[in-house]
Amino acid sequence: MADQDLTAALRALRLAARRSAVARRLETDAEQALLQAIVESTATLFEAEAASIAIFERDPDRLEFRVAAGAQGAGALGMSVPPSRGIVGYVYSTGQPLALSDVASDPRFDRSAAERTGYVPRSIAAVPLVTADRTVGVLQVLDKRSSQTFSLRDMELLAVFASQAAAAIRASRIQRDTERLLRAVFADVEEDLDEEQLETLVSAATNGLDADADDPFWGLVDSIARLREAGEHELRLVAEILEVVARHSAARRRGR
Amino acid sequence: MAELDLPAWTEPFTGEALPRLSRAVALRQIDRQWAWGGATGAGVTVAILDSGVEATHPAVGGRLVESVAVEIEGEDVKVVPTDPIDLYGHGTACAGIISGLAPEVEIVSVRVLGSDLRGKGTAFLAGLEWAIERGAQVMNMSLSSKSERLFPHFHELVDQAYFRHICLVSAVNNYPGLSYPSTFSSVFSVAAHSLPEPETFFYNPAPPVEWGAWGVDVPIAWKDGGRSIATGNSFAAPHIAGLAARVLGKHPGLSAFEVKAVLAAIANDPPDT
Repeated sequence: MADQDLTAALRALRLAARRSAVARRLETDAEQALLQAIVESTATLFEAEAASIAIFERDPDRLEFRVAAGAQGAGALGMSVPPSRGIVGYVYSTGQPLALSDVASDPRFDRSAAERTGYVPRSIAAVPLVTADRTVGVLQVLDKRSSQTFSLRDMELLAVFASQAAAAIRASRIQRDTERLLRAVFADVEEDLDEEQLETLVSAATNGLDADADDPFWGLVDSIARLREAGEHELRLVAEILEVVARHSAARRRGR
Repeated sequence: MAELDLPAWTEPFTGEALPRLSRAVALRQIDRQWAWGGATGAGVTVAILDSGVEATHPAVGGRLVESVAVEIEGEDVKVVPTDPIDLYGHGTACAGIISGLAPEVEIVSVRVLGSDLRGKGTAFLAGLEWAIERGAQVMNMSLSSKSERLFPHFHELVDQAYFRHICLVSAVNNYPGLSYPSTFSSVFSVAAHSLPEPETFFYNPAPPVEWGAWGVDVPIAWKDGGRSIATGNSFAAPHIAGLAARVLGKHPGLSAFEVKAVLAAIANDPPDT
């Protein structure tokens, strides 16, 4: 491939990567915020000691607790459990919602994992996060204060919360796949590239985009993210302001 | 009139074969005494496709006769003998419910969970196929697959089971969309009701979910000799499996649809009617 072509391809890919980084920045925050909102409302609604969401990740296979809420929720944050163990693992593996109570009286109830969180529950309800064709994680609730067990209605409600969480996760996965797409495009453009060269190219296209958090550009991105909640009138106003600024800076570049 | 050249599948309904057809019994004559009075599930094998069954758990009552597990290495799928242990506790919970209702059944544990998660659906299929070949009158399945790719394979195996007079009992999951095999018509699909009575069950004449059994705050056996109180459709399914085993213990040789008919006849009346 001629150097000139490669430069043009790189420029196009940089643009694509920049767009995806912007999208990722908007979406990641949105996903995290949405998942957090879901566990917080779950904990409040059930008057539970804790509510948390674990997402399935590969290499090694694990369920990783991403968000948590409730008085006893914080201990689980960042913890990973193997899907081949425990109640959360079972719910993930089978896609079957279930609730257990009196779990602490069972001497071997996966205490090791529970104790690492600093909290051993008496009751637990767990429902799978299901997208169109697979299970992506689990929503769990520990110790509902008003009752020792979870009712069928509780399980149904939990399933509704879980479906919201699954939708949020699906949206952000699409963004995460962009880098993989970039690799595929590079490999396609130049078939002779080896793994190392591919890696170099992908990082050349994506590096530096997220690194400088102080870049004023990201401030703008964050402001735009907040504008999602703005009304139609404000959005039109912002668009008009941006248009004026863009015209002004283009004129300056032309030296007028 | 020339003799009709009938295709082979009409044979059971013609000529000499016709008198050989029989009905189990007229529905209205069936009551619980006839259906399972004095029955213990003796002579019936129940396969549990789950996380394994703990042989020594008191709730299992020593009824476990065989344990196998599905192992996947690359393309290679094998069903191998395994230790009678339970990775999660759920299979033991099911075994406890079934042997509680039919204390003399023989239980075969087919562990399809806990191995390689990349082949979950494949492991489930391999376990089901093995269990059909091995022979069991009832199978309890607490899992399901949403995979369109596996649909034709499940379809084939479920039909195979049906024609061998195996009652496949499956917990439905509460999510929209199809999941296999609980949505196949020959399968006993089960959801939970909350009346704390193991022999109280309902027939739903408007499927896809045909059966309702106790599945809320059920006292269950759990891992490592433990016990717990559990809620979920997957604790309702083994109630229907246990009751089907009772019926089959008393009336060996009934087909899956005949067992469905018997259970429908003796199902509880809906409350307040």
